[in-house]
Amino acid sequence: MNWRFVYQVCAAALLVLSPGLSLQAQLPDDESTPWFQQSVNTEKYAVIVTGAAASDAIAERFLRWTRDLHDTLRDDYGYSSGNIRVLFDAGQSPGSLAVSGSSRADDIAAELANLQQEVSAGDQVTLFMIGHGSGTFGAAKFNNVGPDMTGTDLAAMLDGFSEQDIVVINTTSASFEFSRELSALGRVVVSATRSPSERYDPIFPGYLIEGLQSHTADLDRNARVSVLEIFNYARGRVAGWYEEQGRLATENAVLDDTGDGLFSREPGPNQADGLLAEIAYLDVIVPQEEKTSPQAQALRADMQSIEREIFILRNQKQNYLEDEYWRRLEALLIDLATRTRTYNALP
Amino acid sequence: MHCLKQTFKTFLRIPVLMLTLAVALLPANSLAQAPGTGLNPSAQELLDRGDELLLRGSYLAALEVFNRVDDDFFQTQAALGLSRAHMETGQYGQAEAVLQPAVTSPADNPQLATRLAELYVMTGRSQQAQVLLAEVVDGQLNPPVRTLVQYGLVLALRGDRDSADIQFNAALARYDSGLVFDSADVAMVAVAARQLDEFHDANALFSEAVRLDGNNLEALVLWGDLFQEKFNDQDAQINYNEALEINRRYAPALAGLARIESPERNLSRALDANSRSVAALQTFGDLMLRNGREDEGLGFLAQALEINPESIPALATLAARAAMNDDMQEFARLRERVNAFSPESADFYASIAEFLGNNYRFTEAVEYARRAIERDPRNWHAHTVLGGNLVRLGEEDQGKQHLEQAFDNDPFNVLTSNMLQVFDVLEEYATLESEHFRVNMSQRDARVLWPYMEPLLEDSWDRLVAKYGFEPEVPVVIQVFERTEDFAVRSVGLPDIGPLVGICFGKVVTLISPDTLSANWQEIVWHELVHVFTLQMTQNRMPRWLSEGISTWEESQGRPEWGRRQGLDLIRAVRQDRLLPVGSLNDGFTGANSDADLSFAYFQSYLVVEYIAEQYGFDSLLALIHEYAEIKDESEKFFNVFGIDMETFDAGFRAWIDQRVADINVYVHAEDSPDEGEGHGHGVRENSSAVLAELYNSESLKQYMQGRVQREPRDFQAHLQLGIVLFREEAYTEAITHLRTAHELLPDYTGYPSPSLVLAQIYEAMGDEVAQREQLAIMLENQQHDYNAPMTLAQFALDSGDLEQAAYYIDRALAVNPYRPEIHRVNAELASRQGDTERSVQEYEVLLTLDQNDPVAARTNLAQAYLENSQSDDARMTILRALETAPTYERAQRILLQAVAGEEED
Repeated sequence: MNWRFVYQVCAAALLVLSPGLSLQAQLPDDESTPWFQQSVNTEKYAVIVTGAAASDAIAERFLRWTRDLHDTLRDDYGYSSGNIRVLFDAGQSPGSLAVSGSSRADDIAAELANLQQEVSAGDQVTLFMIGHGSGTFGAAKFNNVGPDMTGTDLAAMLDGFSEQDIVVINTTSASFEFSRELSALGRVVVSATRSPSERYDPIFPGYLIEGLQSHTADLDRNARVSVLEIFNYARGRVAGWYEEQGRLATENAVLDDTGDGLFSREPGPNQADGLLAEIAYLDVIVPQEEKTSPQAQALRADMQSIEREIFILRNQKQNYLEDEYWRRLEALLIDLATRTRTYNALP
Repeated sequence: MHCLKQTFKTFLRIPVLMLTLAVALLPANSLAQAPGTGLNPSAQELLDRGDELLLRGSYLAALEVFNRVDDDFFQTQAALGLSRAHMETGQYGQAEAVLQPAVTSPADNPQLATRLAELYVMTGRSQQAQVLLAEVVDGQLNPPVRTLVQYGLVLALRGDRDSADIQFNAALARYDSGLVFDSADVAMVAVAARQLDEFHDANALFSEAVRLDGNNLEALVLWGDLFQEKFNDQDAQINYNEALEINRRYAPALAGLARIESPERNLSRALDANSRSVAALQTFGDLMLRNGREDEGLGFLAQALEINPESIPALATLAARAAMNDDMQEFARLRERVNAFSPESADFYASIAEFLGNNYRFTEAVEYARRAIERDPRNWHAHTVLGGNLVRLGEEDQGKQHLEQAFDNDPFNVLTSNMLQVFDVLEEYATLESEHFRVNMSQRDARVLWPYMEPLLEDSWDRLVAKYGFEPEVPVVIQVFERTEDFAVRSVGLPDIGPLVGICFGKVVTLISPDTLSANWQEIVWHELVHVFTLQMTQNRMPRWLSEGISTWEESQGRPEWGRRQGLDLIRAVRQDRLLPVGSLNDGFTGANSDADLSFAYFQSYLVVEYIAEQYGFDSLLALIHEYAEIKDESEKFFNVFGIDMETFDAGFRAWIDQRVADINVYVHAEDSPDEGEGHGHGVRENSSAVLAELYNSESLKQYMQGRVQREPRDFQAHLQLGIVLFREEAYTEAITHLRTAHELLPDYTGYPSPSLVLAQIYEAMGDEVAQREQLAIMLENQQHDYNAPMTLAQFALDSGDLEQAAYYIDRALAVNPYRPEIHRVNAELASRQGDTERSVQEYEVLLTLDQNDPVAARTNLAQAYLENSQSDDARMTILRALETAPTYERAQRILLQAVAGEEED
């Protein structure tokens, strides 16, 4: 029995035993979850699956998104070309985009099986799905080339990644039922829609890629983009677009990271979902340039420790009177700012 | 005695029942045979046929049939049918002639006696009705339900409320005992319930009455009246229409429907059926008076009162007019007339209050509503009228109190509940105060709009006080609503108000939030503020045309780009002879059938005011305003100021208009549609040329327009259209020629697209940025509702270091849309470059509300601005919130340390 499995059992028991409690993510206060503990020693992989397009214009859009996503992950997020697998349409290679295979269910299964052989424990695999989905009749499906793949099919393909951190970002129409099949403890699942009736092609993927580009979605300015940040960014832009157009939103993105299959529209602090997504970063961790000063390493450790204290305090905000919360937070922030200034000044 | 009567009635019923049974057993074909076609129709057949004819509105045929009933046994039913047929056609004398001889002993013939009493009430003889009904009620152990209710109504009319309630309660008790089965009687019980303020029961009882007999026209209409009384026009309309489907000549239903839709058509139909319908005549009178057709209106009211001298609605309208004209002698005469049959009638005073409120005389409306409540504290309608008018005077708390009282007792009144719901909205709103204003607006508007509205209000106040030499009562209350429905309800009580975007009540102004408009909101605020001055200067006595005319004219005085430039509409109106005489300008508002009509009413009123200001000077305009503060005939007011009569004034105005049309000197083709826009002149008005270019084949459109230009070289629209078509074909040089010609023909044209806008687009396509900007600047000289052009020019001015120009264009863009984040970013940059740290703070504060995509950046920028404006504490609190989300953000960390250091220094 590995440690992830133990945690899964305990967390699941906690959820079952507390039906009356709100479904706030049941993660320990110190944030030491067994998932998404990325370090310079772990790898990150991206699998981009782009399904069949209903028209030439849509095909062009899907290609643009696929290429932009691929290039952004490679250029801005530290993914090596080899760690990005593109399973595109019928497998054709459009221009310079390196394609690993088609979006046929068999190819996806084969590619994921291959990947499973390459990854190590603690690595992160992010699966991006671009295309059309359908959920009106029978099981929800991803419209790939050949027989359509169901959420259950994909869930089975992901079963082998029990020691890896999995993020699934499904940007297709009617993606909800499909995505729900993928929900699992320790996994972050994003769906561009929240019901089978949201069957029009979403604009969510466009804003998702926009948020990734130039780290636009890095709202906390830590030079990394978490799944929560990119989700909130894209969701906000989608809502803004519909509001500006004066139209009722025909898509509402949702996220689940507690494995309960109950997705949240507004994940984040003090919400049912969001804590895992907040620490699930899309950036590959690169080793920092070492400072020569002997004080620097100790100072760096102090800064990380304060940062962790800030996170803990923030997650316990509801337990404090407002004045007390801000007083404590200010003290920590001043401490962190002062040490950062000192650290930066060191050679 | 009573027992004997009962026995007699029972005895009478047996043969009737037997006869009915016998009729039921007859072969079907004998019933189908219409009387008159058969050889010897029975009396019962004749009665049935007569009732059927009555129901379908064939009143004359019904009379004929009822007259043929010669069986003594059925004389009562025949008399009831005859009298009803006479009454439905206004032959009240004949109806009385039928009834009177049959009612020798009222208690012995309660149905006929009750009908006669109803006739007395309809013809203004309530005292006789009271005596007659009293006889029936006193002479019967169990008088008919109808008698009880009609007696109650007469007693209520005559001011004996307590005795009336006894009758109504008796009717309800009868129903509660399970003794009321007949649809007509159930409807009467419903009337009783309504009189006892049991509105829920009344509704249920009317429903039951209609369920029992779907052809009960009286029940359908009374139920409709109940709905209408509660301002539920939708349900009322359904009921009236149901009645009219059965009988399209049923005057009570037509009169009711006329109060909801197509008033003139429906009232004319009602009077065709019954030329002496008091309800129709009185409604027609009110309608005519509302539309400024005084003589006709008064004529209708006189007719109504001739038939029914006790018509409280008609007398109240006349009394309200007298009160409006300060003719207190006439008012006292009318009041005495009412007092003679209905002492100190609460309904009379409530109707007067409503009339005055609808005519902007809120102070007097409050006074009369209070008098109504004093007389009858249970008059919930009066409470609603009082509450609504207090709110319009800015007396919010008192107004709410009365509305709540009305709602607690009459929760079905849509007007009351709507107005109370707006109070709930207002509770969530911010209340902001400046020296002369108290403003309610949403929290979002408080953060985004208020920083720009406050200086506009106070600056406008100073300018208008100086100009008009008058200081209105303060604080002026301004309410800015985010939802159009709330604005409408607050303004008129109901959620549909048409194209209006702002309304002034004298001391209170309601506005739609600029967030929901595509128009220069600053001009709208200015327009409404001018109303505050003119209405208060005349104690709200100014007619709408002049008030709107002055406010619209003032638009053009407020800022160079403001005002309405509708030269094409003017030429078109003169050609179509649509200009109204000055004395009838109010008809342009009250008789407007479309938004375009309403917009033109504003425009013509504005032209009259411009004519006055131009030909006679502003002082004459001011003198005219003061004239309206007093009660005089309009022609006298004009004579006092201009020394000429209305006709001469009108002739001068026409000559001035003709000269103006000659000066504009543009050909307007008969086939061209006028520009269309929303907000009765506030906002962009769209030219159909862009649509035509989309719809039609370019070549044929081009050929057609070229033909027009050859025939009429001053055809503005044809030149503009050609410019657009040629632009689409990328024939830029030719397009430029036509567009420049169009611009020269009508340089102040403000429709969309204008020649200068299309020219700017052409130059943009040609890559000539200088010419593009030149054209945008030309366009903005007259086009005040555009956001993008000033933004483009502001950014360019900023880039080229012309900060003064940048500031000007930023202000122009803010006047249209202060809700776009980019304008505040540009303004913040300008403020920073001008060293205006205070404005920089203001812009970043607004951005914090508007820029939801990146709150960390918004807070950090704001904190920085606070620091630069020496607001260390604000900077510290703001940056803490940014760092809460982004604790490692080094720029924010530096600001925090600076803020803390700054505080320590302080």
